[in-house]
Amino acid sequence: MSLKYRAAPKDDLIWHDLDSMTLLFHRPSGITHMLAEPAPAIMEVMQDASLTAGEIASRLSAQFDIESTADAENIVLARLEELSGLGLVARVSS
Amino acid sequence: MAEMHQILLKIGPAAFRIASAWRRPLEELEALYGDYPALTDSSVDFTVRLEPKKPWRRFIRPSVHIGGDFWLPDAAPLPLAQGLLAAEMGMNLQMALGWRRHLLLHASSVEKDGKALVMTGLSGSGKSTLSAMLAERGWRFMGDEFALLDLETGDLVPFPRLISLKNKAIETMQQVVPEHRFGPEMKATPKGDIRHLIPPKAAVARMDETARPALLLFPRFGHAPELRDMGQSEVFVRLTQASTNYVALGESGFEALTRFVDQVPTKAMDYQSGEQAEALIESLWSKLP
Repeated sequence: MSLKYRAAPKDDLIWHDLDSMTLLFHRPSGITHMLAEPAPAIMEVMQDASLTAGEIASRLSAQFDIESTADAENIVLARLEELSGLGLVARVSS
Repeated sequence: MAEMHQILLKIGPAAFRIASAWRRPLEELEALYGDYPALTDSSVDFTVRLEPKKPWRRFIRPSVHIGGDFWLPDAAPLPLAQGLLAAEMGMNLQMALGWRRHLLLHASSVEKDGKALVMTGLSGSGKSTLSAMLAERGWRFMGDEFALLDLETGDLVPFPRLISLKNKAIETMQQVVPEHRFGPEMKATPKGDIRHLIPPKAAVARMDETARPALLLFPRFGHAPELRDMGQSEVFVRLTQASTNYVALGESGFEALTRFVDQVPTKAMDYQSGEQAEALIESLWSKLP
């Protein structure tokens, strides 16, 4: 069974786009995160759902012009682990 | 406890009580802050204390230990002859560590036509000297050390304390400013040679008048004159580094800083002389909306 992930609640985050980066202010911790793509896109397509890396990769490929391959899934998984280390994404136990 | 002398100072929105075991630093402060408005009530934001490190050091080889509401445990004591510097460093320290009413940027600022030019950068970038120089050439001096951003309106609030001139900047300003506006020269302090300069009268008289930030510069002294664009992400990161209270302010600091980065045009500016810097600044200023 694949691990599922869930993004931090919408109300906990303030988004702000800069030229080449996206700022995410995390209200509970008071920490400002500076994210480069594809991390903000991953957070965006997750919305409120609990999803596997594979499901997120296919959502990304539906919204953006990228192919959903095993490679894409691995990239998403690596970013999810980083985001979970920052407290922006949580692993969901089911 | 030994007797303490004290004076009250109001600089922009901040009120200080400076208490000292010795009269001399306070007399120097009084002379330099003589034209500043008197504090009408005794409620202050911060207290700075200049005390001997050991009681007997009040008299024998006196050295000044900086204390106050906020202090750094490893701040080295200064000789009494540098008591004025200790007081100024103490006031800076209180602002840097304790001020919460504005987003505080380590930057100098000057104003013209209601619009403010903000200059930030590392020590030695020349931001303080440039603000002092422009203040003698038709700009209103707003501050050489801290720029205070109003968290609601985004306007810049003046904090026109004494201008702290270092090393070569002392001679540069002595050529254009009369002697009576200078404090005593302090040689070989931990910050180099230091001499304080009283800001022009208008800066003090109008220290409650805010201004709209209109241009942000990152000056760099000692390189061939050039203006460069900077990406928003780099500007944002450098401003968080230049702010002493960004993290402490939380969400309101985030809102204030992102608005500032969105709205204020920014350039990196290299220069080798005050004249070059002034020409570059005027070229940018004349094109502002």
